[in-house]
Amino acid sequence: MNNYINKIVDGKVSQINEGNNIREVGRVRKVQTYMVEVSGMTGAAYFDKVVIERPGKGEVAEGYVDRVERNGVMVALTNKYDELLIGDEAVGTGAAFSMQYSEDSIGHVIDMFGNDRLNNKRFTDLLEFPVESENTPIMERGEVKRPFHTGITGIDLMYPIGRGQRQLIIGDKKTGKTQILLDAIANQREENMLCIYCAVGKTKKEVKEIYADLLRRGAMNYTIIIAAFNDECPPTMRNTPYAAMTIAQHYMLTQARDVLICIDDLKRHADVCREIALLSGKVPGRDAYPPDIFYAHSRLLEKGCQHLNGGSITVLPVCETKGGDITDYISTNIISITDGQIVLSAKNFERGLKPAIDYGLSVSRLGGAVQTGTMKRTNAAMRRELLSYLETREVYELTNENELGQELQKKLKRGAEILSKLVQPKYSPRSEDRIVADFSELMK
Amino acid sequence: MNNENYKDIPEEELNIFSLDDDSVKEDLVKAFTGEEKEPEEVQAAVEEKAEAPAEAKAEKKAEAKAEKKAEPAPAKAVKAVKPGKKASESKAVTSGKKEGEPVGRIISVSDLKVEILLDKEVGNKDILVCECGGKEYRFEVTEMEGSIAITVPFDSVIGLRRGIDVFRIGGGLCVPYNDEIVGKIFNTYGQPLDDSKVESDAVRNVYDGNLAMDEIRIDADIMWTGIKVLDFLSPLRKGFKMGLLGGAGVGKTVLIKELIHNVYTNLNSNSVFIGCGERSREGRELYNEMVEGNLMDKITMVFGQMGENAMARSRSVTSGLTMAEYLRDEKNQDVLLFIDNIYRYVQANSEISAESGHLPIDNGYSTTMLSEISDVEERINSTENGAITSFQAIFIPADDLNDAAVHAVQQHLDGQVVLDRKVAEKGLYPAVNVFRTTSRLLDPEFVGERHARLAQEAVRYLSRYEELEEIVALIGIDELSLEDQSIFYRSRKLRNYFSQPMFVAEDFTGIPGQFVAIEDILNDVEDILTGVYDKKDESRFMYIGKARGYV
Repeated sequence: MNNYINKIVDGKVSQINEGNNIREVGRVRKVQTYMVEVSGMTGAAYFDKVVIERPGKGEVAEGYVDRVERNGVMVALTNKYDELLIGDEAVGTGAAFSMQYSEDSIGHVIDMFGNDRLNNKRFTDLLEFPVESENTPIMERGEVKRPFHTGITGIDLMYPIGRGQRQLIIGDKKTGKTQILLDAIANQREENMLCIYCAVGKTKKEVKEIYADLLRRGAMNYTIIIAAFNDECPPTMRNTPYAAMTIAQHYMLTQARDVLICIDDLKRHADVCREIALLSGKVPGRDAYPPDIFYAHSRLLEKGCQHLNGGSITVLPVCETKGGDITDYISTNIISITDGQIVLSAKNFERGLKPAIDYGLSVSRLGGAVQTGTMKRTNAAMRRELLSYLETREVYELTNENELGQELQKKLKRGAEILSKLVQPKYSPRSEDRIVADFSELMK
Repeated sequence: MNNENYKDIPEEELNIFSLDDDSVKEDLVKAFTGEEKEPEEVQAAVEEKAEAPAEAKAEKKAEAKAEKKAEPAPAKAVKAVKPGKKASESKAVTSGKKEGEPVGRIISVSDLKVEILLDKEVGNKDILVCECGGKEYRFEVTEMEGSIAITVPFDSVIGLRRGIDVFRIGGGLCVPYNDEIVGKIFNTYGQPLDDSKVESDAVRNVYDGNLAMDEIRIDADIMWTGIKVLDFLSPLRKGFKMGLLGGAGVGKTVLIKELIHNVYTNLNSNSVFIGCGERSREGRELYNEMVEGNLMDKITMVFGQMGENAMARSRSVTSGLTMAEYLRDEKNQDVLLFIDNIYRYVQANSEISAESGHLPIDNGYSTTMLSEISDVEERINSTENGAITSFQAIFIPADDLNDAAVHAVQQHLDGQVVLDRKVAEKGLYPAVNVFRTTSRLLDPEFVGERHARLAQEAVRYLSRYEELEEIVALIGIDELSLEDQSIFYRSRKLRNYFSQPMFVAEDFTGIPGQFVAIEDILNDVEDILTGVYDKKDESRFMYIGKARGYV
């Protein structure tokens, strides 16, 4: 024991003599791209903000404590200004890693640190929030029953979305996933809805195009774009959706507002989480994703709700698939969290049936509960008929049409007609009245 | 602290705070925080303190042991004093008190794992607590390694740092074990979620409840659910374990809600609903429906939903189960136990296991998955006191029926209903895959010769239909033999007949729900298979109750 303590004391004393205060300052010991092991920093708490400095050069990186280890901490970098060197100083700020947000952000492209990405300026009068805020408790939730209008017939009529619902948009590349989000945002002009578009791992060009599109349609007046671009540090990409959700919660809780939040996309987010987990040496699970990947998404999407105070957060997350397979691990995870999914099919897209919704695979778990009167009746009748048509069409594809029974022929004709009424060009929203009128003939 | 314990731990892994003597630590801390001392002075101080007499240490150890002994073993229904605070303020219900002396200090923190260097002994599953920045954190001991305890936090660990003192709470994780649980809604840790309070102090540890073989009862009467495809292909009885398997978004939760509606409401039997890792919205809606329908009087709900951390999700099952056991063992009731969703229990456990650094078995499931499931499933059984009939929803990840966790749960089931995306795609709900749906009771011995024969015949028809469907897609119906043609058309009617309007899904279908008696089901199936309805259009069979007198 004696020797042991002597050794420790000697070690620490020589550190003091060298001028290192081991309580607050640590030294970079190992660098793995953006995951950094730091020795010392005894006082650092889990998720504290850390600044890495080099004497004579100033700040070289920022990050947060991802893990407190027995003899050091693991720091995930959120901003890297320069390559790190072994021996760089890590300084604990003593405060939790947080996000900054300014209420002037509406109409701008921002990041989670309070910067305006279009002109690279920092907002003034910033509010500081924890990145992840508390989930709305089960007893403070209300029922989801007020409709949310996207203006798209295939959604508003067949798979309606309610305020406070989480509806997944899922499909292959280039099937119009983002377009559905943009249509939905553009349709909120009259609705007093605050829209947040959260881009995760999108390119700067893509985001700029989305911004220009929304600006042209006057939709930026009530929209915030919060972006973590493709080339940013993965820990920033990982945290940005939570930050976007915190902004939404801020408006819901303090002003009881209805907020729409689009997250584009969660597959990329899952990949980022996987990258970070593997780099920090966590045990991999299915498809090498970390075992808590479900929780990473469930706690994010569970923040979507109808609050008892009247406000709501409607969430439209996006998930990209490969080869039209919606049964892979991440997709089924997210489907099992959300209140339904709009599945987009590449085949329909190629056939020109836009929006390319796959009516068989799409689901709304709330269904008619968020619709009123005529819409609800039209929905129940038309959806059943359409699904039955799609299935029958497949079975009888090779049968000579004239040999089919009268009833069957009529059914096929009506089905085709329903399908044709669901085709709709982009940015041409249809109101409930218009939709009801469109289908009134068929309802008779 | 025990000196021998140091031996196995590499020196560099031991933090400065691992020093056992507080005054030495204080000296060092002073030295490092600016109040500089000459190195020699520190050295001297250290030497002086380190030579603390051996007797003192032995005394300390003895003390710790005595304390441990004095702790009452977590027996059934311990009447014990609760922590000084109100239940709603504390994080969990326990049977013990927070001890005055710390048992150790935190030495590492990550998402789901907090390591504590111990000065005193603690037991496995003990609850430890600490305070930091005005917030209270709780942990459960899951593993021990020398003098280090590995614990799992009950909540987020943001803001937790090394060197914080940790205290022990005796009795482990407990939930209320008394009459007041009925009609209430709880979180995993046994606290009411609504404004109500549990006044009684009777609590029980959530981990004990194993049954001996001679306690388990196996025979019981058949019970009907009024859901056509379930009663026909997967009949069940009291004390049965029914699994509802399905991928994401094919209707597990709707089916479970329908079962609550049909079985709980009709039998008016005591029930426990466990919401494990599912949507808070659905939990809230179920609660609202129960309150609006005045049905809360016999049900207890426990929620550890998907927005909560792995610990809350995992332990919600054991907590709810303990309450069901109360109704069975203390009140001699037959209990209906609804678990939505048992897969999330496995999932939460693998999150905890992975964070502890255990090697995973396939697809990242926890090393101890099989025994964890068995621990829970073996408790869900009927005894002479009463029956626990359980309905367990099981999520199928990535639509993979061969998933290790799904298999592990299946092993415990008496019957299962498998929901299939291919059926759901056709708009047929409940989207049951008839080939994978089974029950131990589908045997002439239990359900009678007629039922068993018809079920066999129906499955034969539908299985032939599957093959024919592919042939038809290639060559058309007209090319089939007459016999195959009639199988084809009758099977389609049968398939449509098994769709059913549900009471809880009226919003989706726009059709009021139907409860169908088993006699009607058998008659209808017989009629369809024998060709009574050959002239009728197949779409007439969609979303109806019984067919006789209707089609």
